[in-house]
Amino acid sequence: MGEEELHQLIRGCIKQDRKCQKMLYKAFYGFAMGICLRYANDRDEAAEVMNQGFFKVFTHIGSFDTTRPFKAWLGKIMMNVSIDFYRANLKMAYTEDLEAAEHVSDGELADRNLSYSDLLAMVQQLPQAYRTVFNLFAIEGYSHEEIGEMLNINAGTSKSNLHKARQKLKQMILNADVPAKNINYNSGTDHTPIVALKAISMQGVFLNKGIRE
Amino acid sequence: MNNEKDKNLDDLFNKKLQDPANEAGFREEDWGSLESMLDERKKRRGIIYWLPVLGSVAALLLLFLGWWALRPQTSIKNNQNNVQVTSKHPNANTGINGGAERQPEGVKYNKPLSQSYADNSQPGKGNNESKSFFTLSAAGSRHNTGTAASTANDLATSESNDLATSTSYNKKTLTAVSPTYAFNQEGLADQNVSTVKYPNKNVITPVVPDGKTISKQKPAFRPQYALTVLAAPDANGVGSFQQSKLGTNVGLAFSASITKKLTISTGAIYSVKPYSAEYGDYHIAYQFPQNPSSVTADCRMFDIPLNVGYQIYNKHQNKISLGTGLSSYIMLHESYTFNYADPYTTGPTHYTVPNSNNYFFGVANFNATYEHRVNSKVSIMLQPYLKLPLTNIGYSQVRLQTTGVALGLNWNLNSLSKP
Repeated sequence: MGEEELHQLIRGCIKQDRKCQKMLYKAFYGFAMGICLRYANDRDEAAEVMNQGFFKVFTHIGSFDTTRPFKAWLGKIMMNVSIDFYRANLKMAYTEDLEAAEHVSDGELADRNLSYSDLLAMVQQLPQAYRTVFNLFAIEGYSHEEIGEMLNINAGTSKSNLHKARQKLKQMILNADVPAKNINYNSGTDHTPIVALKAISMQGVFLNKGIRE
Repeated sequence: MNNEKDKNLDDLFNKKLQDPANEAGFREEDWGSLESMLDERKKRRGIIYWLPVLGSVAALLLLFLGWWALRPQTSIKNNQNNVQVTSKHPNANTGINGGAERQPEGVKYNKPLSQSYADNSQPGKGNNESKSFFTLSAAGSRHNTGTAASTANDLATSESNDLATSTSYNKKTLTAVSPTYAFNQEGLADQNVSTVKYPNKNVITPVVPDGKTISKQKPAFRPQYALTVLAAPDANGVGSFQQSKLGTNVGLAFSASITKKLTISTGAIYSVKPYSAEYGDYHIAYQFPQNPSSVTADCRMFDIPLNVGYQIYNKHQNKISLGTGLSSYIMLHESYTFNYADPYTTGPTHYTVPNSNNYFFGVANFNATYEHRVNSKVSIMLQPYLKLPLTNIGYSQVRLQTTGVALGLNWNLNSLSKP
């Protein structure tokens, strides 16, 4: 989409023109969904969060500075909405045992031929707090101090969550390398986190009830 | 070593997760749900946008009504003052009677003396005993000719003249003289030039500047604003309070005093109004197979009152005021339960109204407010009230009336701003 075309769409959105809103939505759907998917538990939830983000975009588009890149603004809104959506879960403590993951961290990660959906599935299987910190650090490129401020946690907690997230991801990648043995990424030694994960996502549903209805 | 591996891991995810490919393909249903979110907001915004417009129109209307209600009150006060002018000490009155427009009121009061100035001057000249003050009043009128305030002189001359012509006693005319001067002074008080000329002749002149300063202070009234949090239990009934049920109200009110005694208030009160009534009081288009004996309803609504209050008592820390106004009901929820006399009757037992309705200025409010000041910022309030319907309310079109007592906490907003 050309710069001029985008600005025309934005002008239409400022006038609350429904056609322009839909065009803008369609144009940035993939981009916004890509962000929300990384923070969400599944696709449906991601779509819900993304719609909340677009709702904010359309209601606050008047305050958007047209001299700045729209994509970055939209991305930031999607990220913030995602963080807010799961904020209740971010401070939860996880007590699962990561010892098992420590010694399986070897292996050339880049050699594994993992697709987008493989990696996304792994990220989505991380507990909420790990996933959010991993997203913010590894993908968005924030520092632990910044993450701590954004999530209202200690920089130390952020570091520790990142470490745990990496351990779990490595474990998942290694497990994925042998799909013949395990179709499920989480099995065998990794059994405990599944239980924890389910419990957490249930709690998330409960805590976010007000927002989601 | 470890760091590098971590970095590799991060990079792997960073690169691959940037492009969701067809994983995040557009789904029409997602747009549908966003569209309904946007539509809902539009609807809500519509209501919210209309409220201030309606509110301000109503406020202006009430402001006008308040002003209109205030007008006759000032003239009544003037009449009383004028009685004092003619009967009591004239000096004291000049302070209260300041404005030029009030003069005609004085004239009206002294109606029996309604002779024109021109007529009076003639017999006045012929009468020797009253000559001395006639010349004085004539002089005053000469100064005043061509100005609106000459009515005062008119009165002065006519009054003294009347007295003089009817009785020639000096003593009696002299008693009339003092009010005459008082009026003259008043008329002159509005004319800067003549006031300067007069002091030599009149002993009462010092009063003039006094009267002026007081009349200047009077309009220096500062409006007061207050915020009130209130809760009220109330009784709701249809037609009468015989079958009344207890309701609850919680709300926020804002009031502004437009004069020393008059206050306008508005707000938003969330009301839960349960009530029951005979079926005959209900007016529903639906034809029941067998008419229910009574109907019980549960209504939830926003009550937006617009009231004007007049203060009747204000001493020490206590204030009492009487108020009236109109309320708008914004229905949030209505559900009805139909009770049948015969337990075996088949018929609808419940009905919940799907769409909410609004009733703008459909209810008249009457209240009395007692306010006790705790400190300069906070006061507590007790307000018995009565709400009478002007239109039929709700899906069932009942005449729902309410009475109750509101308890409130006022917060004086003026304490924030400096005089």
